[in-house]
Amino acid sequence: MLELRNVNLSFEKKRILNDLNMKFDDGKRYVVLGNNGTGKSTIANLIMGVEKYKPQRGSVYLNGKNITSLGVYERSKLGITVAFQESVRFEGITTFNYLTLGGKIKASYSDAKRALELAGLNSEYLKRRVDDSLSGGERKRIELASVLMLKMRYVILDEPDSGIDMMSLDTISRIIDTLNSKGTTVITITHREEIAKNSDYAYLICSGTVLKEGPPTDIAAYYKKMCDRCDHPNEIIESVKELEHRKGVRA
Amino acid sequence: MRIAPDYSKEFEKIVEAYEKSGGESSKLLDKRVASIIISGDKIIGLNSVEGVEIESGKIENGVWARVKVMKGKKVEMPIHLCTGFLGKEGEQRVNFNFIVEEGASVKFISHCSFPWSTHLVHKMLSTVHIGKNATMIYEDAHFHSESGGVTLISDTHATIENGGFYRNSFDLTKTRVGKLKVKVNVDLKENATSELNSKIRGRKDDDISIVESLGLNGERSHGIAKSTVIATDKTRARIINEAFGNAPYSRGHIECTEITKGNGVDVSTLPVLKVTNDLSELTHEASIGRVNSKQLNTLMAKGMTEEEATEFIIKGLLS
Ligand SMILES: Nc1ncnc2c1ncn2[C@@H]1O[C@H](COP(=O)(O)OP(=O)(O)O)[C@@H](O)[C@H]1O
Ligand SMILES: [Mg+2]
Repeated sequence: MLELRNVNLSFEKKRILNDLNMKFDDGKRYVVLGNNGTGKSTIANLIMGVEKYKPQRGSVYLNGKNITSLGVYERSKLGITVAFQESVRFEGITTFNYLTLGGKIKASYSDAKRALELAGLNSEYLKRRVDDSLSGGERKRIELASVLMLKMRYVILDEPDSGIDMMSLDTISRIIDTLNSKGTTVITITHREEIAKNSDYAYLICSGTVLKEGPPTDIAAYYKKMCDRCDHPNEIIESVKELEHRKGVRA
Repeated sequence: MRIAPDYSKEFEKIVEAYEKSGGESSKLLDKRVASIIISGDKIIGLNSVEGVEIESGKIENGVWARVKVMKGKKVEMPIHLCTGFLGKEGEQRVNFNFIVEEGASVKFISHCSFPWSTHLVHKMLSTVHIGKNATMIYEDAHFHSESGGVTLISDTHATIENGGFYRNSFDLTKTRVGKLKVKVNVDLKENATSELNSKIRGRKDDDISIVESLGLNGERSHGIAKSTVIATDKTRARIINEAFGNAPYSRGHIECTEITKGNGVDVSTLPVLKVTNDLSELTHEASIGRVNSKQLNTLMAKGMTEEEATEFIIKGLLS
């Protein structure tokens, strides 16, 4: 189980995550829903242990063990990985080389091909380079294929559909289910409620904290109703009550 | 290929050096492949093919060679140039004159290998003349000794006539550099195109200096000069990329990427853009710094150590 307990994180006095508590049980599919700028990618970076994203207060636990002080590599060794929101370019590196991490992953051409096809790209791409000759969407698909090849226990997909067209919601569901079928916990971060449907549990993030959590369909419906137009982009909302009060609705 | 009998031992040794630098030695013995083999101050092997004229001779501490590709001749197999120095100390001078006549096309694969030298000064002077609509591709890979005792001073002047094409790639990534002073100067006429590309990896106290200069002197001429330098340990690197837009609709782009690793490095890049014709367009890109942290995090999240990830990224940049 992966857990965030009372996590607080600020960037130069700007509070980004506020007393954040989340739990991710083994073998489940989670969705983390929230508008842009609410701190979702910050959560991904923090769980992964990216240097600038160490919490000022609170901790990250893996199976009850505090892993807050561990770096990215060490956490990956514990089975945690992220397909980051932004798929960076790698000059001079072919997709095949990228997917097999230059030979570090013992995988055949057909393994790579299968992962790539699941992410919606044909095997022609294996020879292409993961540089700016590919679109952001193509690199994103390669990133998803890469995660499929890794065999990690916890996979965070940060906006897996960003840069990719609507058609591929199916693709994303297929990737989530393929990972999950092998027992991997999948945490999908998104601002699109359609994606929430293919999950077991949902968190709604608002101003860096969990505003509501529960069954994905309920959370998605609530999100659609309440967060469609965010009227407090720079303010911290502490509770559902406060939000509903502002919006003048009764739950 | 004629190998003078008294050089057969030396040839074997040169072949060993050649293979170290990634050369395919079978090509040196293939009759269909034009080649020049230089060892120290001698030419120990030379082969020409139809449509290619090679003349050569001796100079003090070295050799000269003139390679002429006849008008309209499309040389099928790349011409192989193999330059080696077997001794530990000394000076080697090589003067090359490349002439690619109108409409001809040729590719050179050059390997310079000095794997055993501790104090060698290698001086290379190259003049290149590419005729109208002719093409020349020159790929040069170097293999120096790990002692750092090789000094390479190379000066290339290329003139590209109307519609001609010239690509020059320089690769010194597999071994230490030693001391390097490379100058490439290209004069582009109307519609001529040139691409200069150097990739160098410095270690210990290697000292790298590169000046690449594109003279866009003809209408619609087009040039790119790109340098990638990986500077580790105490490497010193000075990179100057220049483009001069002197003719209407000429376009030039210069690009320098320097990756630093270790806090003893001393690197700089200086892009120089100068336009004397306001219809010319020049651009540049330059970056100096450690390996991109987003790239590192992406790879480390997949289970690579920082060291492995850095090496993976650098290999890509140099490939
Ligand atoms: N490295 C950083 N330095 C400073 N501010 C950051 C950094 N990363 C994220 N932020 C800020 O944190 C807030 C939340 O960003 P982010 O987590 O990317 O939101 P989301 O993924 O939900 O769109 C934004 O205001 C963003 O500018
Ligand atoms: Mg985000």
